[in-house]
Amino acid sequence: MADQLAIGSRRGLKPALPLLLPAYLWLTVAIFLPLSAMVFFSFMTDLPLAGKEWSFTLGNYAAFFSQSLYSTLLLSSLRLGLEVTLWCVVIGYPAAYVLAKVLKGRSREAIFLLVILPFWSNGLVRIFSWAMVLREGGILDTALNAVLPFKINIDLMYSYPAVIIGLVHSYVPYMVLTCYLTLQAIDDSLIEAGRSLGASRRQVLWRVIIPLSMPGLIAGAALIFVPVVGSFMEPRILGGRTGTFYGTVIEDQFVAVFNWPLGAALSFILLAVVLIILALAAPVLRRAA
Amino acid sequence: MRMPRLTAFLTATAVFVSAFTLGAQAAEEVHVLNWKGYGADEPWAVANFEKATGFKVVNDFFNSEQEMLTKIRTNPGLYDVVMINAAFNDQAMAGKLIQPIDVSKLSNYADIAKDKASSPMLNHDGKVYGVPWVWGLTALAINEKSFDKPPTSIAEMWHPAHKGRVIIRDDAVEAVQFGAIATGQNINDIKDMDAVKAKLTSLMPQIKTFWSSENDWNQMVASNQIDIGTYWSGSADRAKTHFKLPVSLVIPQEGAVAWLDAFSIPVGSKNVAGAEAFINYMIDPKFYVEWVTKVGAPVSANTKAVDALPEDAFNRKVMGSPDVAKRIQFQAPITDAQREKYLALWQELKVNVK
Amino acid sequence: MATTRILEWLGRLYIVLLLGFLYLPIIIMTAMSFNASPFYQLPFEWTTDWYASLWQNDQLIAATWNSIEIAIITTLISTVLGSMASLALYRYDFRGKKVLQALLFPPIAIPWLITGTAMLIFFFGVGIGRGLVAILLGHVALALPYVIVVVSARLQTFAPELEEAARSLGANQWQVTMRVTLPWIMPGVIAGGLFAFAVSFDQFVVSYFLSTPGQTTLPVEIYAAIRKGFTPEINAVSTIIIVVSMALMLLTARFFKFGGEK
Repeated sequence: MADQLAIGSRRGLKPALPLLLPAYLWLTVAIFLPLSAMVFFSFMTDLPLAGKEWSFTLGNYAAFFSQSLYSTLLLSSLRLGLEVTLWCVVIGYPAAYVLAKVLKGRSREAIFLLVILPFWSNGLVRIFSWAMVLREGGILDTALNAVLPFKINIDLMYSYPAVIIGLVHSYVPYMVLTCYLTLQAIDDSLIEAGRSLGASRRQVLWRVIIPLSMPGLIAGAALIFVPVVGSFMEPRILGGRTGTFYGTVIEDQFVAVFNWPLGAALSFILLAVVLIILALAAPVLRRAA
Repeated sequence: MRMPRLTAFLTATAVFVSAFTLGAQAAEEVHVLNWKGYGADEPWAVANFEKATGFKVVNDFFNSEQEMLTKIRTNPGLYDVVMINAAFNDQAMAGKLIQPIDVSKLSNYADIAKDKASSPMLNHDGKVYGVPWVWGLTALAINEKSFDKPPTSIAEMWHPAHKGRVIIRDDAVEAVQFGAIATGQNINDIKDMDAVKAKLTSLMPQIKTFWSSENDWNQMVASNQIDIGTYWSGSADRAKTHFKLPVSLVIPQEGAVAWLDAFSIPVGSKNVAGAEAFINYMIDPKFYVEWVTKVGAPVSANTKAVDALPEDAFNRKVMGSPDVAKRIQFQAPITDAQREKYLALWQELKVNVK
Repeated sequence: MATTRILEWLGRLYIVLLLGFLYLPIIIMTAMSFNASPFYQLPFEWTTDWYASLWQNDQLIAATWNSIEIAIITTLISTVLGSMASLALYRYDFRGKKVLQALLFPPIAIPWLITGTAMLIFFFGVGIGRGLVAILLGHVALALPYVIVVVSARLQTFAPELEEAARSLGANQWQVTMRVTLPWIMPGVIAGGLFAFAVSFDQFVVSYFLSTPGQTTLPVEIYAAIRKGFTPEINAVSTIIIVVSMALMLLTARFFKFGGEK
């Protein structure tokens, strides 16, 4: 971003400060100080509330490493994030391609709007609506049995697939959006040139289109993977007995069990893992950009 | 943009924001914390109480005893009345969350059954920390559509015919105590935790989902997704009376967990007089009879209230019978160490289910 | 090119299927808000009772207003502060600028569960406490980076010579900004504002940890209802909101081109 701005830019932090300060002060108070406070809390034995005794401890982190429970949950949350991201790529990328390269003019505009419109309905309600669709005797079951000549039993509710379906539904528009933006920027003449030089459709796809749209794919993947790893309300509503994930355990520490220091430590471990994964993805992203 | 302008803008925003936050606190409100759909939030009851006393009731709800305690801890001064299971009264008092109640202000207190009123769980140092309200059972409830005749044993939960059609509550203490009954142990003195663990582990594959509110249970029955599960006696009654669902309560021969729900006043309540009036109204026979007939409820701790029910009422005939009394075990307070042990066990069971 | 045509039609069919998947729950939600059974039992029985009882539900209405108010204030504050910061990042060159730009990403790149719980701990610790003020603090911080990114993108298309020209004609900094730069970046500012509104209005996780009873937003109230006893009133309020926001979106789309050719 900075390189292109160089022309006409003037030097010096001083004149920039009055413009920058309000926004960054706000971010400091609402994001950076809280994150530091969380790290601090994660080393405490108890909350410093109502004159309670507290001291520093490593016990909260020890709890994570000594009980296989937490690492199992973290792994299953990471797996959930990975699976949801993959499904979003598989479902979202072709849609973005059709949107960018097949549809033209007003119909493209209209469909694009339709894809991003669900963002403006409440995410929780959309998740809950899946419960009505997926359960046995629910809408999907009833509809399919009315159409199909043979009897089938659809009961996906309260299962791992239900959580996946709900999450993919919530996040797939992000993937369509980011991929669409990069696909749209690819010049059609590049694709035609490839084809006229004798490359097959498949070769053009793998050698030209996918590499050029990589930044969109990765940006979309990051936008989906990060929140899914920390999701707790979707598994709670759709997962039933299989709905225990790392996020739900953190929620419990804050809302029910009232063990904030342990919750802080678990949050911080999740943060570290997410940052490591993002850092690993960053070089790819930078190279592609 | 100049700084003064910005400051003015931010100040204006701050004033605006505080204006709509401060409006929320009115003096004559009674803030009540309870389970949802559990008497205190019945619209007719709230309307009657408000008309009689002039106080305005503001309801808030919790999903578990743990969440209830956290809500009082993190919102000091907000609540005036809180409904606490007697087994958790100790913990709330030790955490300095609730205050002694001046029972001389409650005209209905004298009618409360002596054994309930004098329960050591609710009285500390000669002071009353909880006013007994209702008691009931955590027993089994069945979907009538799935049974020709009601089962009598707790073992029905493990029957292969109900695989994937069983429901239990997402609560560590309740699950462990249920396991204790299933293995023939005393719920307040579990000697063989391994047996409880093994029993619950073998139950996990049977389970459809965990419930955390009455509404969960009722929805599962309404959509015919479950056959049998643990349920509270008052809730089963409500499901049948109020929601017209095919639900009936089973008190298994192995026994059931009994609990006593009581009202307390949190430390820092801004409207103690309103709280006392509300608690007194909640233990009034008139309210109770209306609650049972219209909606369905557990058994009142007020003897006059129970006597006001018809002879053959379930809460009088069955719940009052000596045969049932023999089978049930009242929950006693549990220590922090026990609670942590139960929670760890429950989490482990839930994680390994996948 | 017959294959191309077939592929294109398959592509269109695919888009229709995807839209079906995206809209299925929304359609169900709308339908169920007119169904009489509180447990979503079929067969369908028409009723508008849930809309009627919605008006009696003070708690839900209060939470809806809170959501709208917070979203509007968040939009105002974050577009103003965000546009200012974008201008500074565009106009001036200084050491540490890259760091400042990188600092915009944590609010987007960290799971809301972590930001939310961290805010809870911090606000609780320093005495800001929870409630609407805390929720507003959090929402603005979450929306700021979106505004800065969108406005900066628009600024990239701005020719700095315009500012120079205005300055050489004797305009002061304030006049240059208000008369030349701002009109140019306005579409970016408005797009950023729409983002900010959407981020705030649909924000659940951060609001959930920062709300107190009586000071909640609509998504928090909905979550509580789902866990403690869901009524189709929630479907009714969601249906109203999606209809209103769709109308708003279509209206905005008439004025600004989203996704169309540049």
